Amino acid sequence: MPELRRDPVVGRWVIISQERSKRPKDLIVEINNDSANVSPACDFCDNRNEYKEIVSLRDPNNKEKFYVMVVPRKNHLLKIEGEVNRKGRGLYDIMEGVGAHELVIETPEHTLNMADLPLEQIDKVFSVFTMRIKELSTDNRLKYVMIYKNYTPDISKNTILHSRSNIMAMPVNPKRVKEKLAGAKKYYEYHERCVFCDIIRQEKEMGVRLIEENDDFVAISAFAGRFPFEMTILPKAHNADFHHCPPEKFRNLSAILKSVLLKLKVGLNDPAYSIVLFSAPFRRGYLSRPSSSLNEDFHWHIEIMPQLTRTAGFEWGSGFYINPMPPEDAAEFLKNIEVGL
Amino acid sequence: MTEFRRDPIAGRWVIVNHEEQIDPKEFSMLYPAVQKVNQDKCFFCPGKEWATPKEVYAYRPDGSPADAPGWKVRVVPNKFPALVIEGDIDRRPVGLYDMSNGVGAHEVIIETPDHNQTLADLSFEDMAEVIKAYRARLLDLKHDKRFKYMLIFKNFGLSAGASVEHDHSQIIALPMVPKNVHEELLGAERYFKYRERCIFCDLWQQEKQEAERIVYENSQFITFCPFVSRFPFEMCIMPKEHMSCLAELSDNALTEFAKALKDALKRLQTLLNNPPYNFVIHIAPVQNEYSEEKEYYHWHVEIMPRISRVAGFEWGSGFYILPGSPEESAKMLKQVIW
Repeated sequence: MPELRRDPVVGRWVIISQERSKRPKDLIVEINNDSANVSPACDFCDNRNEYKEIVSLRDPNNKEKFYVMVVPRKNHLLKIEGEVNRKGRGLYDIMEGVGAHELVIETPEHTLNMADLPLEQIDKVFSVFTMRIKELSTDNRLKYVMIYKNYTPDISKNTILHSRSNIMAMPVNPKRVKEKLAGAKKYYEYHERCVFCDIIRQEKEMGVRLIEENDDFVAISAFAGRFPFEMTILPKAHNADFHHCPPEKFRNLSAILKSVLLKLKVGLNDPAYSIVLFSAPFRRGYLSRPSSSLNEDFHWHIEIMPQLTRTAGFEWGSGFYINPMPPEDAAEFLKNIEVGL
Repeated sequence: MTEFRRDPIAGRWVIVNHEEQIDPKEFSMLYPAVQKVNQDKCFFCPGKEWATPKEVYAYRPDGSPADAPGWKVRVVPNKFPALVIEGDIDRRPVGLYDMSNGVGAHEVIIETPDHNQTLADLSFEDMAEVIKAYRARLLDLKHDKRFKYMLIFKNFGLSAGASVEHDHSQIIALPMVPKNVHEELLGAERYFKYRERCIFCDLWQQEKQEAERIVYENSQFITFCPFVSRFPFEMCIMPKEHMSCLAELSDNALTEFAKALKDALKRLQTLLNNPPYNFVIHIAPVQNEYSEEKEYYHWHVEIMPRISRVAGFEWGSGFYILPGSPEESAKMLKQVIW
């Protein structure tokens, strides 16, 4: 019997289809040899002077050597100058494309998959994220900083052969963020507890969806995951904002992230994936009021979405997903993959 | 110059990039044109009726018996359903989570007996028969009190999620209202409460006034590229008369809808070299005598060509980046002669 499950935060229903259920090995990516012959150039290295550095972390003994560097994205869609200029046109709302659109180059070497970076390198990436969020938070026009990463092993599709993340700072809160905020707030109003803290507690108790745990973080297979092997990493200590995470915890965060990414790589033959960091928006407007419970009701987290199945049209149209991989089976599979960290 | 645009119904923001010139030829490098190669293995072809579950509806102009060749449109339960028809919903909690059994209907509408024909290539008359099948199934499934929502959609081409290449659409009857529909309902209700007008009626009239995003219009339907499109060449077909569900279509209006749908699919096929696409028919949930949806919801079709890759950012944020602008998409689609 297939099951319908509801995401407790945003209220989205997902069909967990056991009739169509697949074994993990049915989802393993086939190696595409077409791209093996192509040796694309790395645009970042080849055209280094076209990328103007915004900020970087460098070797204190050798200033020439960078560890992590932030540059504006080429063809950036949002520009930092100008006013937001909200206006209406009949029914429609419009505003100028003001914001920031940056790339975080996560390694000086051509390492494509974040899973292959050393732990101390990933720590540095997190400190750079924190630096950028803090810096962008001082700009009163901006409401939200979205940090995300799209990884694909197919080098013919990559213009930069370095592991990298994207930063997008926006004058509005994105829809999914708003939904999470609304769901978390509603839960808090009734229970006076954070829904994410409750999820962590329940997942630790039940154990069936727990993939990995260390002193500061848990990685779980989401109860109502939309995609096979979808994962969420949550800090155990309640904290609404990623940039308030104490830097001494970065090592445990790097360890759990690297471990689950390696599990994907080893277990599913290096699939493409996306990572999105969800953190509370800047305290503007009603969120800046003392009565706002945002600090108590929201809990930052990371979503990891492997791209193993094609999303069909009705999922776009309806917001209703069919996941052919029961999250408990996914957790079991991932838990049993040894990555030797 | 880019701009942010907000969908007045769902509240979703999209970044529209005016500066970027979109070239349909360049897009067609990104996806293979949809081709049919597996006719001999196809279970949707006439003569293989035994291989599918028993039909629940068919259009048989020659009066041929059920589950035999002779049909022009055939509706069968999905052999690999995402939801099953028997059983109780049994809503229950798991700690703080909610779940229920996956009870529902999942049917396949085989749109043509000809393996190599695509929906866009059907004649108006045959297209109208496909839509009559939609209408008949909606009216029938409505009687099952367990179902709250019926979703009709089509995946065309592998990268749009089709697993069988013989042209077909699908209908899923669900025991709850899907999230995006729920959001549309809320948005439409909010507007209606204040203005006492249907937002969709206002929307198509504004589109008609501004004219620059209109692709096609006939006496009953209007096709346009939405002001807040998520994908290049996305189109919306809307009835001009206020109507909450496709099942309310009269035979006359149904013919006009067939013309509008064929027109839109033909334009896509011609301009983008038979691209993969999805369409979803948005209708009001199953109603009872107390429902007000009839007044403020207005059914429509969303057609989304699957020619650009959607990445993690869009998933995570519900925030879309549109290459080019809907105005430019509309201009190109309008110029197509088919």
